[in-house]
Amino acid sequence: MVFNSLEYFIFLPIVFLLYWFVLNKRVKAQNILILVASYVFYGLWDWRFLSLILLSTVVDYFVALKIDSLDEKSKRKSWLWVSVIFNVGLLGFFKYYNFFIDSWVDMVSIMGYEIKSTWTLRVILPVGISFYTFQTMSYSFDVYYKKLKPTTDFLSFAAFVSFFPQLVAGPIERASNLLSQILNKRTFNYDQIVSGLKLILWGLFKKIVIADSLAPMVDDIFTNYSTYPASTLILGVTMFSFQVYGDFSGYSDIAIGTAKLFGVELMSNFKFPNFSRNVAEYWQRWHVSLSTWFRHYVYIPLGGSKVSKLKAIRNISIVFLVSGFWHGANWTFIFWGAFHALVFIPVFLMGRNAVYKDSVVGENTFLPTLTEVGQVLLTFAIVTFSRIFFRSESITAAFSFINKIFTDFSYEAYSHPMGYRMIDYYVLIILFVIYEYIIRKDERSPFKFKSKVVRFIVYTIVIFSMLLFYDSHMDRSFIYFQF
Amino acid sequence: MKKLVLKLIVYSILVVLSLEILVRVFHLTKDYPERYVDEYDVEKWVPNQEGYSVTGNRRQNFSKYHINKLGFNSYREFNPSKDKVEIALVGDSFIEGFHQNYYNSIGKKIEDKLKGVEVYEYGYAGYDLADQLHLINKYKKQFDFIDHVVLGLKFENDLTRGEYNVVQDRMVFETPLYKLMKEIKLIVYLQSNGFFDHIRELGKKTMSIENSLDEPKINKEDTQKNIELKYFENFMNLISIYGFDKTRFVFLIESKKTPELFLAYLKRENFKYIDFSKPFETSKRTPTLIYDKHWNNHGRDIIANLITDYIK
Repeated sequence: MVFNSLEYFIFLPIVFLLYWFVLNKRVKAQNILILVASYVFYGLWDWRFLSLILLSTVVDYFVALKIDSLDEKSKRKSWLWVSVIFNVGLLGFFKYYNFFIDSWVDMVSIMGYEIKSTWTLRVILPVGISFYTFQTMSYSFDVYYKKLKPTTDFLSFAAFVSFFPQLVAGPIERASNLLSQILNKRTFNYDQIVSGLKLILWGLFKKIVIADSLAPMVDDIFTNYSTYPASTLILGVTMFSFQVYGDFSGYSDIAIGTAKLFGVELMSNFKFPNFSRNVAEYWQRWHVSLSTWFRHYVYIPLGGSKVSKLKAIRNISIVFLVSGFWHGANWTFIFWGAFHALVFIPVFLMGRNAVYKDSVVGENTFLPTLTEVGQVLLTFAIVTFSRIFFRSESITAAFSFINKIFTDFSYEAYSHPMGYRMIDYYVLIILFVIYEYIIRKDERSPFKFKSKVVRFIVYTIVIFSMLLFYDSHMDRSFIYFQF
Repeated sequence: MKKLVLKLIVYSILVVLSLEILVRVFHLTKDYPERYVDEYDVEKWVPNQEGYSVTGNRRQNFSKYHINKLGFNSYREFNPSKDKVEIALVGDSFIEGFHQNYYNSIGKKIEDKLKGVEVYEYGYAGYDLADQLHLINKYKKQFDFIDHVVLGLKFENDLTRGEYNVVQDRMVFETPLYKLMKEIKLIVYLQSNGFFDHIRELGKKTMSIENSLDEPKINKEDTQKNIELKYFENFMNLISIYGFDKTRFVFLIESKKTPELFLAYLKRENFKYIDFSKPFETSKRTPTLIYDKHWNNHGRDIIANLITDYIK
């Protein structure tokens, strides 16, 4: 079931009403409802893969209890490894098995040997596996680092692992935040629910109006890039930047908004990354839950930045490469990760990786300074460039795409073969950027206007835009489901 | 909770009202002309109506229609006579051409190319071969004067029945309830842009789950063959009922979407046809609208050229 489907808009109110009116005041019953609803939500995709979620839940539930019961560090570590090997193994098999086999075959063929990839299996990637395996692992890590006491309430733990708003594409929550909320009583809070509904509306807008409407152009340009001039390729990857942002941040907003309806606060996943002033700030604003995960469980255990510069560079490189690989079993993602490491390291060496941590562009003024505009544009250009790797089908295609931009520059106005009226999309992007700039200080309140009339006008415009850009023939799934 | 429900209701009503106003102000949705069944049991539009047809969520295609005295969308009245050369285009919505300004129709394009010729467009959304032949038969006096009659024929749509009767499903749109719904422009807008498709799909899914439990499995290939045979039979039946003047009548066909067997039959039996498959396929620009598979201006140009070449 996807968030932007009719099924979901039937499912959600039913669960909401049961949750607050039938099971109100009984935390255990509410958690069972969350668990059942989450399994139904996921099972409607493919019920067979529910077994994987259950398995991951069982393993980490018992591993955490075991870790907690032991005092000896080496034994605790061994049990932690059980969780890591199990979850990474699960990911490895379902996500990376074919990649390793095919890469092996390719490597051998480069050396002059021809072997057939007879080991390649038709492994289907279970939706959300990268997200829930990371979430359950984080629980075992937190128990291992003694930041969290393991729960003995299996059903609540299972509800934490499978919590449907964030099950398939995050935000990847840490147990210390989400599990503690699930274990404790939630109260019906009018403001929280209204805020949730607003986030759902804003998320749907970003998905339907920005991501889905730009998809046909992006698909066309990336599929037929060899036939288009460089100007069109630049347009294509710029549009993809907005598409992937609208898609994933839209999903996250709906997830956070839905969780609010059940009295649960999830962490922010996107904080207007398009207004970042350098790449380091971008990574503090884009897919925050994943960056946080890597920082806590990979970067810091490796020594983080509190080691020699050389080792810190190694740590940064490892995090970005693993992050790239996490996105998908394709060399394109590894190059994407490597590229980000390359552009992040200079910022780190200049000591500017945390300078914008607590501020936003135009912090004390309405308009940004010229320097800020330059910084934002440069960062956007760098990030957008990296997305050529992210979006291309293969690494060869990505390099051909880049090669065409740099060696064969020419301009021609783009027109989609289906005859879409392009001006609509250009205006849309410009208005979207302006609106996001206006609301840039609080990603959790997209309609924070004092005047009720202004708020109502904005709601109407948002809904009206959804009608204007809705395409009933569009494949409505989210890009990050493939990860 | 009461506050939440109350606010949701109030906001929903206000938003719906605002959307209705916006749809009207920007004229985002089409006008529906009235339809009726005349004294010959021919279904057509009530004469002398005008309005606008809209395609696409953002009014990507906006055109004016004009229903003439006979009840068809055309810039001219149909007055065939012995002294003139006339062409009749008979068919469904593709010929009806609500997706174009009525003064820029296929017929007008042909007239611009063939000076002195008058083109009459007997197009009506949903017309199949039974409707077309019934119309020609009932308006025989007019059609006898017409030199060339082009009949649009889509095998998969236009041969589902072997005899004519008034399609009551279409006349439902003239019931008071539908008329009222047509007055609510937001509903019309949502319906035309596929917002209700998902509700229908969900309904179908539920039905198909229920049905699949007790229905035996059907071989799809056999079913397809049976359907084609049935359509074939319908075709022959209609031709035997109404007759077919092979010297004047010609079909407009997309061969790519027509079974080989049927095409071979047409050739063997000397039924003439104009095929627009190839020019559509080889066209560099898309010949259809984006949110609607009807022909766009370029598509209509292609069709007009083909008919002109055929007549020449």
